[in-house]
Amino acid sequence: MSMYLKLAWRNIWRNKRRTLITVSSIMFAVVFALFVESLERGAGDLFIDNMTRFHTGFIQVQDFRYEDEPSLDNAFFYDEDSFSERITANDSHIDFTVPRIETFMLAAGAEQTRGAMVMGTDVSGENRLNNLEDRLTEGRFFEPGDGTAVLGEGLAGRLDLAVGDSLILLGQGRFGMTAAGMYEVAGLVKHPMREMNNQLVYISLHDAQWLLSADDHITSLLVTPEHVRYADSVAEMLRSRLESDELRVLTWEEMMPELIEAIEFDRAQTRVMMLILYVVIGFGIFGTILTMTLERLREFGILLSVGMRRLKLALVVFIETVFISVLGVLSGFIPGFFVVLYFHYNPIMLGGDMEELVQEWGFEPIMPTALAPDIFLWQGLIIFIMTTVICFYPTIKIFSLNILNSARN
Amino acid sequence: MPVITTRNLSKVYNPDTVPVHALRNVTLTIEEGEFTSVRGPSGSGKTTLLNIIGGLDKPTNGMVVINGTTITGMKDSKLIDFRLNNIGFVFQSYNLIPVFTAYENVSFIMLLQKRSKNEMKARTEELLEAVGLGSKLHSRPRELSGGEQQRVAVARALASRPKFILADEPTANLDTASAMNLLDMMERMNREENVTFVFSTHDQRVIERARRVITMVDGAIDSDVQQNGDRKYAEE
Ligand SMILES: Nc1ncnc2c1ncn2[C@@H]1O[C@H](COP(=O)(O)OP(=O)(O)OP(=O)(O)O)[C@@H](O)[C@H]1O
Ligand SMILES: [Mg+2]
Repeated sequence: MSMYLKLAWRNIWRNKRRTLITVSSIMFAVVFALFVESLERGAGDLFIDNMTRFHTGFIQVQDFRYEDEPSLDNAFFYDEDSFSERITANDSHIDFTVPRIETFMLAAGAEQTRGAMVMGTDVSGENRLNNLEDRLTEGRFFEPGDGTAVLGEGLAGRLDLAVGDSLILLGQGRFGMTAAGMYEVAGLVKHPMREMNNQLVYISLHDAQWLLSADDHITSLLVTPEHVRYADSVAEMLRSRLESDELRVLTWEEMMPELIEAIEFDRAQTRVMMLILYVVIGFGIFGTILTMTLERLREFGILLSVGMRRLKLALVVFIETVFISVLGVLSGFIPGFFVVLYFHYNPIMLGGDMEELVQEWGFEPIMPTALAPDIFLWQGLIIFIMTTVICFYPTIKIFSLNILNSARN
Repeated sequence: MPVITTRNLSKVYNPDTVPVHALRNVTLTIEEGEFTSVRGPSGSGKTTLLNIIGGLDKPTNGMVVINGTTITGMKDSKLIDFRLNNIGFVFQSYNLIPVFTAYENVSFIMLLQKRSKNEMKARTEELLEAVGLGSKLHSRPRELSGGEQQRVAVARALASRPKFILADEPTANLDTASAMNLLDMMERMNREENVTFVFSTHDQRVIERARRVITMVDGAIDSDVQQNGDRKYAEE
């Protein structure tokens, strides 16, 4: 075998310049493709990650009426111990759950009044979901039932409130009960989603349930699977276990369909671009293989004359093509890896329209690249498949070669 | 058993448009150990005859038997293997794999035959030594003169231990000295190892070295004579 490899290896260097041009075109395509794919994956992942962690969670359990009418009247009975016992039985891939009760109320400081989104939650769970405590810019978080609140910085600014001041919440509780309470501001958070930052008031679940006359009720239970990839199977499991309770289980994909669509659309656009790039590169490789084949027909004829089987000859040419593409892919992987690595840790700052769009959603306008081995694998695979397809040409040529005609000239 | 037998070989090119009768009824027997030259004017059918004997081309009529095996009508893939193990070829020029050294060119044939490493090495060195290239084992074809390249080609042809070697104008691209040198070498192989050679040529000095001279005219054998007196053939 080693002699065939030697033959193939030396053959590709018969025209050094041509091979180098082909190899570098593959290299640039690979670097470019790796960068674009990783960037898109990274930006998409970050976006989804932000949205799920700070907004919807990965899976939510709600009363089945809540989506159409998100009111406290459609909260559901939740007893932590019995509920979690039911859903976490037999290795369910559930990591943890966070109960939330949320509603809109009026928030007032000494001078100002604003609409606010009041979220009664369990701080430790919330923190596991999105490291909320790291977002604390001042003060501390509350203990369950201690009568304090944590505000989004934006809202605190509008209400002119600082840590230690009093916040008044006013609104409606469950079934039309009046809800009013006063809370000491224990801390301020900088929520990454601007909308939230300007509206959010966190109080403990216990305080909220009491304020809203909703003892033992929550509006949603956020379920976090051990890994995103379990989201669907966990949701499925929850559905079957909670079927009878008039509860509904939604995955993040179901909660944010427009977002998924936008991301898919983006991906489709990139795919088309990649396809064009690969067609161009493919023709480049094909051109090289074509000339490498045509200028050696006489040599092929002699090899067949002296007794080399056509299949073996085709194999040598295939190895040549593989050598060229492997060289291209590997020489693309190395700089590609460092490019992706660099932009992972030094994400691109968005500008212009994109920046506004992303900030609209309330996120940092950055695009880090994803460090995903499968992107590299895919690139390698695509080039390999392309190479194999290109090899049909010399193979057909070798199998249909008329020994006499080729050996003659 | 003769090494080569042809019976009523004929070859017509372009039978449907302008038919060219490249061979007409060629019947021929070549025994082991011959050193035979095929001569004749350009276009007389020498190349066509050698190609058909070598299984590179198919006759329109007639048949070719090599060492008892009829190759006429054999399947292409079987024919390739048959050639590998039975026939050595030397072409006019550019015989060699340009990216391989002399050594590799010769041993490659034995690799195709799946010979053992040790045998490959020993025989390659022995053959290149025998053709006078013991000092140029690792030169690539472009580093060798035309005559040296042809000698490598002969060594390669011998490497597979064929029944005979077909050489179509092996000296056509060589100067006189190199041509005579190649002939000396071929003659020695023939004498010492009893290798059968059939070669075509235009060159009178080469023809003089053969022991049997077949003359082709218009695709037919015009004469078939022995010379240099050491063996006998019936004249047609
Ligand atoms: N592929 C072909 N198609 C048509 N005619 C051919 C073909 N090959 C050879 N011929 C014709 O067959 C005849 C014999 O050709 P061949 O090559 O055998 O002659 P030759 O004796 O080898 O000549 P030379 O000494 O010039 O090499 C010639 O008339 C030639 O034109
Ligand atoms: Mg000829």
